[in-house]
Amino acid sequence: MRATTCEAECQSTRSRRQNRYSFCVATFAIGLLLLPIASSQAASPRVSRDLRALYTFEAGRGDTVKDRSGVRPQLDLKIEKPAAVKWQDGSLVVRSSTRIQSSGPAKKIIDAAKRWGSVTIEAWVKPQSDSQEGPARIVSLSAGPSDRNFTLGQDKKRYDVRLRTTSTSRNGNPSTAAANNSARAVLTHVVFTRDAAGNAKIYINGRQQISKRVAGRLSNWGDSFRLLLANEASGDRQWLGTFYLVAVYKRALSVSEVAQNFKAGAKAAATPIKLAADESSPKARLFETKIAPLLARRCLECHDSSSKKGGLDLSRKTAALAGGETGKAIVPGKASASLLWEAVESGEMPEDGKELSAQEKLLVRQWIDAGATWTVNVIDPAVYAHDGGTGNTWIQRLTVPEYIETVRSAVGIDIEKDARKILPPELRADGFSNTAYNLNVDLKHVEAYARLAEIIVSRMDVLKFAAKFSKSRKLSTDDTMRDFVAAMGRWLLRGPLDDREVTNYSGIATTVASAGGNYKEAVSLLIEAMLQSPRFIYRVENQRGDGTAWPVGEYELASRMSYILWGAPPDESLMRAADNGELLDRSRVEAQVARMLRDPRAIERSAQFIAEWLDLDRLSNMKPNRKRFPKWNDSLAADMRAETLAFFKDVAWKQKRPLADLFNAQVTYATPRLAEHYGLKPKGDGLSRYDLSAVPARGGLLTQGSVLTIGGDDGSMVTRGLFVLHGVLRGTVKAPPAGLDTTPVPSKPGLSQRRIAEMRIDNVACGACHSKFEPLAFGLERFDGLGGYSEKDEHGNTLREDGQILVPGTAEAVKYKTSAELMNLLAGSDRVRETMTWKVTQFAVGRPLTASDARIVGKIHQAAQKGGGTYSSLITAIVMSDLVQMTRTETEQLEIKR
Amino acid sequence: MSKTHVSRRTMLKGLGTVTIGLPLLEEMMVLTVAAAEKTVPVRAFNVFFGLGIPAPLQAEGFKDVLQPLESLSDKLLIMRNVDQVRCDEKGINAHYDGAAGAFTAEPPDGEAKSGGPSIDQVIRQAHYPKGLPAGMVPTLIGGTFFRRSRVGRYVHSYNMDGTVAATIQEKPRDLFDRVFGFISVAGGTDARRRRLKRSVLDSVVDQYKFYTGKNSPLGASSKARVAEHLDRIREFEQRAFAMKHKAPNAPKLPPRSDIAHGGKADPGGMGIDITLDELSSEWRLMADLYALAIQMDRVRFGSLTFLAAGERIRLSGDYKYDGKSLWQFDDARQQNASGDKGCSHEWWHKFNEKRKNEALRAHGHMKMREIAYFLHRLDDSESKEANGKTILENSLITISTESGDGRHNNVKRELSGVFHAITSANGRFKTGQIMDVGAEGLDVYNTMLTAMGATDRLGPAKRKMQAVDAIRA
Repeated sequence: MRATTCEAECQSTRSRRQNRYSFCVATFAIGLLLLPIASSQAASPRVSRDLRALYTFEAGRGDTVKDRSGVRPQLDLKIEKPAAVKWQDGSLVVRSSTRIQSSGPAKKIIDAAKRWGSVTIEAWVKPQSDSQEGPARIVSLSAGPSDRNFTLGQDKKRYDVRLRTTSTSRNGNPSTAAANNSARAVLTHVVFTRDAAGNAKIYINGRQQISKRVAGRLSNWGDSFRLLLANEASGDRQWLGTFYLVAVYKRALSVSEVAQNFKAGAKAAATPIKLAADESSPKARLFETKIAPLLARRCLECHDSSSKKGGLDLSRKTAALAGGETGKAIVPGKASASLLWEAVESGEMPEDGKELSAQEKLLVRQWIDAGATWTVNVIDPAVYAHDGGTGNTWIQRLTVPEYIETVRSAVGIDIEKDARKILPPELRADGFSNTAYNLNVDLKHVEAYARLAEIIVSRMDVLKFAAKFSKSRKLSTDDTMRDFVAAMGRWLLRGPLDDREVTNYSGIATTVASAGGNYKEAVSLLIEAMLQSPRFIYRVENQRGDGTAWPVGEYELASRMSYILWGAPPDESLMRAADNGELLDRSRVEAQVARMLRDPRAIERSAQFIAEWLDLDRLSNMKPNRKRFPKWNDSLAADMRAETLAFFKDVAWKQKRPLADLFNAQVTYATPRLAEHYGLKPKGDGLSRYDLSAVPARGGLLTQGSVLTIGGDDGSMVTRGLFVLHGVLRGTVKAPPAGLDTTPVPSKPGLSQRRIAEMRIDNVACGACHSKFEPLAFGLERFDGLGGYSEKDEHGNTLREDGQILVPGTAEAVKYKTSAELMNLLAGSDRVRETMTWKVTQFAVGRPLTASDARIVGKIHQAAQKGGGTYSSLITAIVMSDLVQMTRTETEQLEIKR
Repeated sequence: MSKTHVSRRTMLKGLGTVTIGLPLLEEMMVLTVAAAEKTVPVRAFNVFFGLGIPAPLQAEGFKDVLQPLESLSDKLLIMRNVDQVRCDEKGINAHYDGAAGAFTAEPPDGEAKSGGPSIDQVIRQAHYPKGLPAGMVPTLIGGTFFRRSRVGRYVHSYNMDGTVAATIQEKPRDLFDRVFGFISVAGGTDARRRRLKRSVLDSVVDQYKFYTGKNSPLGASSKARVAEHLDRIREFEQRAFAMKHKAPNAPKLPPRSDIAHGGKADPGGMGIDITLDELSSEWRLMADLYALAIQMDRVRFGSLTFLAAGERIRLSGDYKYDGKSLWQFDDARQQNASGDKGCSHEWWHKFNEKRKNEALRAHGHMKMREIAYFLHRLDDSESKEANGKTILENSLITISTESGDGRHNNVKRELSGVFHAITSANGRFKTGQIMDVGAEGLDVYNTMLTAMGATDRLGPAKRKMQAVDAIRA
């Protein structure tokens, strides 16, 4: 320990004695606890990510200790008795009793800790003596001697940390103490960390000294406590000594981060630290947020890996830097020598589009001049398809199916028939009907929720339901009613109620009592109210913070998990896990996901995804030409829908095969009617399983009627090809193309749809785009508009099944000879696997994914593929990802304008 | 035509001789009369028609396609050469992007979002930042349309954040219910039961208020959504509890619609068969009810759609105008095609300046006839207001459409040829002429906002506005 404190002393004086510094280290640190400390200590950066407050004591005078974290709002500390302190060379010596405290509650620390369930308290201090006790308060977030969120104190020769959790006392006991002799009258770096799983550690001078569990959550932290230095709020727990640095983080720093801060020294970070959001380099940000989207939208149509006009591929770093036929397009650091700049600056490029705006040109120039930083392997235009407000954080209203399932799970009533009749149907937006921004409300919704609540309650055994939450049947709010409201509310509203809510709902019981009503009537009306409340109708989450991503609360996470996996509310097991803080532990979350995947609701939810992705509801609205398709009827449409869902459940759940196998699995399900339509030998009465290994033309989603009907009566190659491009390969193509009559051209003798498509592709005006998607449908030409199979069309033209597939982002098309080969190519394609990840993820989070999600989705994809690429592995990866575990927060409340 | 139009006078007299009737509440009638006697309110509506009018046909003035608007020409400013440059990007879809851009000046941002607010909503925000008077429908969106693959095809009122301003009412009965519906609360006339129900609603309102208040944990977009929900609850509250005196002899709801709605109306973009009589009857009932809602001061903002952007119907029937038979609609037979290829949409693709374009002209003429029908409803004797002018003259009514140039081979021409017309808005704008404006859409729209007393602007925040004073009176 002597070596430790000696090392610390060395650090405290290093600015004045740089030349003696390495000698100290060499003498005392070798073979002991310290991490390597180089002579560049003073230049070592401190950890800035997730910092909440930072005090560096360099003011030199005055009665204010400035918060230097740069995190708003500023949390400055006022020195109550300036005469009790002395500013001294970047430190503050507390010579006699005083309070140094914030003027109001340390809200930014408290809010973050409650949300993150974690905290780091760091201090560079030099105690006046090792005899101070109480413990003497060094850094405290408290209201008095026995009421605190945390306190870092000195209890004679050791440091001691009290932390309030739901498992410790209001006073933060039992405390976590460092080893004896850790506190001495020398400059010392003391760090306390506590993560969301309850692991607490104390580090002294960069080395972990104590590790123990401090169970519970931080959700019970007092909201009104001020941050204090050198004393308790009551003024009777003084600490004397010198402050060099105090910092509070919203998460537990890692071992290496603590070491990094120790290495940075006691006088680091004299300048404000930037927020975590600014952590990536400005050059990388410029590329990712401005340049890549610009190239994707304005350049790649002609200069991606396949088009590569003039030999220039601007989608890949290496290729882009290599340049094209006329030379170097990009010369990093020198826009003036770059052909790209020359072309956009003069307006020569984009060749057949609008000239870049002055602002866009400026960005291109700045980017090249700054070194043309390029942070992705390939610029994928699909990533930038949604760059507007669609990715904002919108509260999610329960969709109609979610509402039905929520009612069923919460109160055991099947309300499906009524809900589907009364509630307005959801509209699809961006491919799915659970897209949050489009889940708006009309008077009809309000009326429906009220009416449905009445119906639900009328069908409930209200007293039996109430007995789950209270044995008492008293109406008095002074007695048991408040507890009953809290217990029932926790269940119905998917998380604990606060006092405001309990009081609000209890008011209903009071009104009933004053009207001479009874307990049953009160409970009935309470349930009605809760069923209409925002916390029932919406998935309410805390979206406030500092503008960065914050962890979601336990109950919020429980709801996210249950709605993603089941489209239903958390069950008792999940709620208990949230109650016990188990959802802060990733391994327990994973165990919950595994359990939930065994529930039949997980299968039904996944089937909802399939129905939405393939827009299966479309089938019931189809009206094909009667003369041409006389056998079409609603029953056949229903059979097609049933086929696809049964096929999916077989492949994804029974066989647990990778999702990409949906494209070539040689099996299907059909009714006798559908089998006949397909030319299969009918069997059984209802939906039967058919092995298709001997039917090469069929096998996989794209050969099913539900998907083939997308092309309309004529099995349009344009529509089918666009579906494969957008829905299966996540490709982009601009529509409609200028210079083209989009009237569909009918087949005729000697002119098949394939030939017509080839003519479009050969046309200079059309080919650039049509070559990207129509060949994707060539392999489907033998399937007519309703999915029937034939080798000649109605005019006697021979139908083909060969073609080629150009996977977005690749340079060369791959040829296929048969429909089956096309299906195998799709099933084996990385791009298809990626698409499945993106589609399922979009459905899971209920919003279109944007460029800012791309990195996380990439990680989800890797994790899912590592797990076999199955639906289960994908859903698990999604739940475990930051898209679900974290939420994007907002800082300031904006004026509402609608 | 199988119906007689619904007039305000008829309704106020409570006569049951018309095809439809209203279970009017006395409070609604009182409100209407009171409003009529006071100052003229600020109102803004958009009337949209699908597929547009090719620019060369607009240039013919009232001679042909625009003929049905001639009787209203003194009350309209028809603007030509308004360039929707914000939608003027390569690859833009002139149908739904162009449609969303007209009077919003921004192409869509997502399938169900506009790139910005619509003019009516900006004006609503400016004049009623805290909401409209109690009991009024904040925004009414209705329409008779069939193509529905994207919301932008048929919704033309957008919130400040680009989301749709209200759920569209596509059946006359639903629109009627949205405007005049009475909500019955369980308990009926039992005062005790009603009091208890009221306490439930109070409790619910308090919860929604919290999430829209300063301590709300929600971010801006979410908070706006919950605030919207709260507004709807207030309406619900008003109808369920504040209005309870049913007018005597109140007639029944409008009849159920016989034509296709919902998903059935758009079988995969393939189009539906419909007769002119079915189409006109449905539309005119919708138009009557919408006009009635305005006359009775139940609504001041919103939009009404007659056929969607890129609409696909196979229309049949004898088209008469002023007693003369102008055309026999029979799209599928005349084009010798079925499915989407037999739809009227194809006449636009086949437009050729050098040909007669008879079918397209007939369709365009018919659309103008139906638009004029609605406008006349706001210009009749029952629409006279305190200042002696009609609702049509006192309101800002924008008439918009989409591309109109089905050749799709010149983006510039296509988006500069979008039909634009506006009314005088109580003397704020010139009328009685067809004007070659020659300005960017954003500048025209923002000039209109200035004249309407709104400070919010459409388009990019930093963009310098060029006032188009030529359109102002």
